Amino acid sequence: MSGAVQTALAAPAGPARRAVRDPLVAGLVGLCLAAAAGLLVAPPAPYLVNALGQLAAFAILAVSLDLVWGYLGILSLGHGLFFAIGGYVCAMHLLAHGVAVTGVLPDFVQFMGWKSLPAYWVGLDHAPYALVLALALAGLVAFVFGLASFRSRVNGVYFSIISQALVYVAMLLMYRNDTGLGGNNGMTGFPLLFGWPMGSPGVVTGLAVAALLTLAAILAGTRLLVGTAIGRRMLACRDDETRLRTLGYSTTRLKLGIWCLSAMIAALAGILYVPQVGIINPRVLAPDLSIEIAVWVAIGGLGRLGGAVIGAILVNGLKFWLSAAMPEAWPFILSGLVLLVVLVLPNGLLDLVGWRPRPTWLRGAR
Amino acid sequence: MADPLRALLALLCCLALLTVPAAAAPLDRARFAADLCGDGAAQVRGAEGLVQAGGDLPADDLAFAGGLLGALAERRLSCPADGALLLDRPDAPEGHDAFTGAVRPAAAARAPILGLRQRAAVETARGTVALLTGPDPAARAAGLAVVERRIATVPAAVLDRARDAETDAGLKATITGLAQAAALSSPDPARRRAAIAAVAVSPSGAAQARLAALKNDPAYAADPAFRTALDTGLATVSRAVAIGDGLAVVYNGLSFASILFMAAAGLAIIFGLMGVINLAQGEFIMLGAYATYGVQEAFRRLAPGLLDLYLLAAIPVAFGAVALVGIGVEALILRHLYRRPLMSLLATWAVSLFLVNLVRVTVGTQNLQFVMPAYVSGGVPLYADFVMTWNRLFAIAFAAATLVLTLLILRRTPLGLDIRAVTQNRDMAACLGLPTRRIDRLAFGLGSGLAGLAGVALCPIYSVNPGMGSGFIVDSFMVVVLGGVGSLIGTLVAALGVGGANVLIEPISGAVAAKVIVLVGIILFLQRRPEGLFAVRRRR
Repeated sequence: MSGAVQTALAAPAGPARRAVRDPLVAGLVGLCLAAAAGLLVAPPAPYLVNALGQLAAFAILAVSLDLVWGYLGILSLGHGLFFAIGGYVCAMHLLAHGVAVTGVLPDFVQFMGWKSLPAYWVGLDHAPYALVLALALAGLVAFVFGLASFRSRVNGVYFSIISQALVYVAMLLMYRNDTGLGGNNGMTGFPLLFGWPMGSPGVVTGLAVAALLTLAAILAGTRLLVGTAIGRRMLACRDDETRLRTLGYSTTRLKLGIWCLSAMIAALAGILYVPQVGIINPRVLAPDLSIEIAVWVAIGGLGRLGGAVIGAILVNGLKFWLSAAMPEAWPFILSGLVLLVVLVLPNGLLDLVGWRPRPTWLRGAR
Repeated sequence: MADPLRALLALLCCLALLTVPAAAAPLDRARFAADLCGDGAAQVRGAEGLVQAGGDLPADDLAFAGGLLGALAERRLSCPADGALLLDRPDAPEGHDAFTGAVRPAAAARAPILGLRQRAAVETARGTVALLTGPDPAARAAGLAVVERRIATVPAAVLDRARDAETDAGLKATITGLAQAAALSSPDPARRRAAIAAVAVSPSGAAQARLAALKNDPAYAADPAFRTALDTGLATVSRAVAIGDGLAVVYNGLSFASILFMAAAGLAIIFGLMGVINLAQGEFIMLGAYATYGVQEAFRRLAPGLLDLYLLAAIPVAFGAVALVGIGVEALILRHLYRRPLMSLLATWAVSLFLVNLVRVTVGTQNLQFVMPAYVSGGVPLYADFVMTWNRLFAIAFAAATLVLTLLILRRTPLGLDIRAVTQNRDMAACLGLPTRRIDRLAFGLGSGLAGLAGVALCPIYSVNPGMGSGFIVDSFMVVVLGGVGSLIGTLVAALGVGGANVLIEPISGAVAAKVIVLVGIILFLQRRPEGLFAVRRRR
């Protein structure tokens, strides 16, 4: 990953040069790499390591939403769905792996009175297959939903509402106990990760480092992407889709491609998140959580990938701290923060710094 | 349709003739007392005779018999040579004469003993008396429970009389069912056929099951008249039950749809006018319900006598209070965000988060307790198994009134004209001198007020707590989008459609699956027609 950045630094031409001009992203990538190295050399208390890893997973999720909302003007209120797809497949892999090694069936399978894992779990104990399945599934769901929506030009708030209904439907479905995916209790009690006992300091550190490295890679990769011609087309599509279409570009294909990419990145975040918290349940699919992702992006700075990362880390860091210190006050602080950002800082907290390489006043985000 | 009706009428007449009470033959009291004082066979004869005659006996005879039977069962009966004495407790030295009431010594008298074999007959007779003359439903229900154990020995006249005299609806239904069951299993073929016809007159799911069970009866194969009667009766009952169930589905769908409509109507106006997704609409509904609670508490403190009227008094209060909150939100926040609808969506989400937690902190998370006035509790059984419950009727009527009023406001008032103008073409309306910002604010107040009204309508049906609003938001947005933005009629049609579909699918595949199927159906439909069912033509 640092390779990509080095390439960008070494060859200041074309899209890569624009990446260099984004010191925020470069700084964040460097920070991620430094934090990963720091964790490996001198790991702090495990709970801090774990919190850092979770923050990195949330940041990846925020980047995935910023990619479609900030750069394409599509506000998805259903990104929790893709996050959950990644999370559920990851949980299935962990349980199947546990069964393959220890032979003990997970609790919820025993509760349902089944003698073995359901048939469609076959092969999930192999990590590469599970990874491919999670990404493919998220991509497929995104493709079907996106194709149907973008072809019939559903956009703006309509798209937001329908995507919210989609995640709500998924939540209702997953609350059923007969899906074979744990029902309302979800899945938990993962015994092993690649043969290592879950929760041991090494695994915790490893997961956090993996999340940080992935974040760095995603951040650098998406920054490179939005620096290319495709990125400029995305901005054009956000600001005036009709004109771009009139100019002969297929906006449907553009939107569909970026939408599926975003869904897969969100699934990756889910994959990294679930082993760190040790549980997945349908509450991940609650519409509120999906709105919250949009809140992170809006608070950090819509339309700038670094802003999404900062927003996710800031809001979730505050949440970790405050929901322990004063749980009553947290919702008020969050709603106050949202209103403040929305009313006073239209480009998010980055407005405070006054750092603005390219004005991204969102006149286009209809 | 005329023939079955005529047949029903004829049947009713026949039944009426059958149940006309014969001239009440008084009880031979002396003989009855002598029987109870006699040996076991006499006791059984007396008790069973009473049960057989029970349907025709005058009330005072029944009371007399009841006293004697009770005394016998509790060993308080004493039998001197001339008549019977009722003691206050077993082995008391003296007692009241059963005929005259005079106090007499019981020293020389014989105390009859109730044997185990006779006890069943005597208890049935006591139960019959209690069923017919019990002072309160509980006593009559206890009597019925005793009678039920030996129902074969009880004549139909007793049960008919008890049913006709019964005032408690639940007990009446139990007696009816029992009488039907007893008649259906009676050994007399004519009586069985009459019973089948009688069951067919008052159809219900229970009656259908009872008749269907008779198909396994040997008489069904053996007796052609019985088979014809049963088949006809069963067909009548099945049809009536199907109609009743259909009515119930329509009614439930209508009430669900009216709640959806109430929740979505305000959204439709706000969304149609300003393109603002108000995610706080569910919380406005919650505030309306809490305002209703406030009105109830105020009535409880200030005018306890008028407490039943609080629900009506809450209507203007909830509308006004929530409309004010809405206008405040608009003036403080949304006014700045008209050019950025996605940001206004986040802002209203923040408002909803704030409101939920504000109520949670100040009032608490528990469900609120509401007094249910008479006009929203209970219901009236209309046809077969279909019971029209008042609380749902209240919601339906409320929604209908809201619809009419809102349509009147939109179609017949200057404000409505302005709202429609701005909805259709904001810039042109502004050019013509309409104060669009002021209209926005008033319309937002109207939309919020409608949510407050929905809160009032929900109080008798749903549990009211700070989180109640979140359950509505997805459904009501689907209704608004499906109906077509800015079209109140579209919202109504969509609400009816979604409510009906939910209720229709629910018995087939369960509540969750019904919701999933309906939402997926809407999502698919919107891919084909993104502008909804009734799109308002507009220029932007």
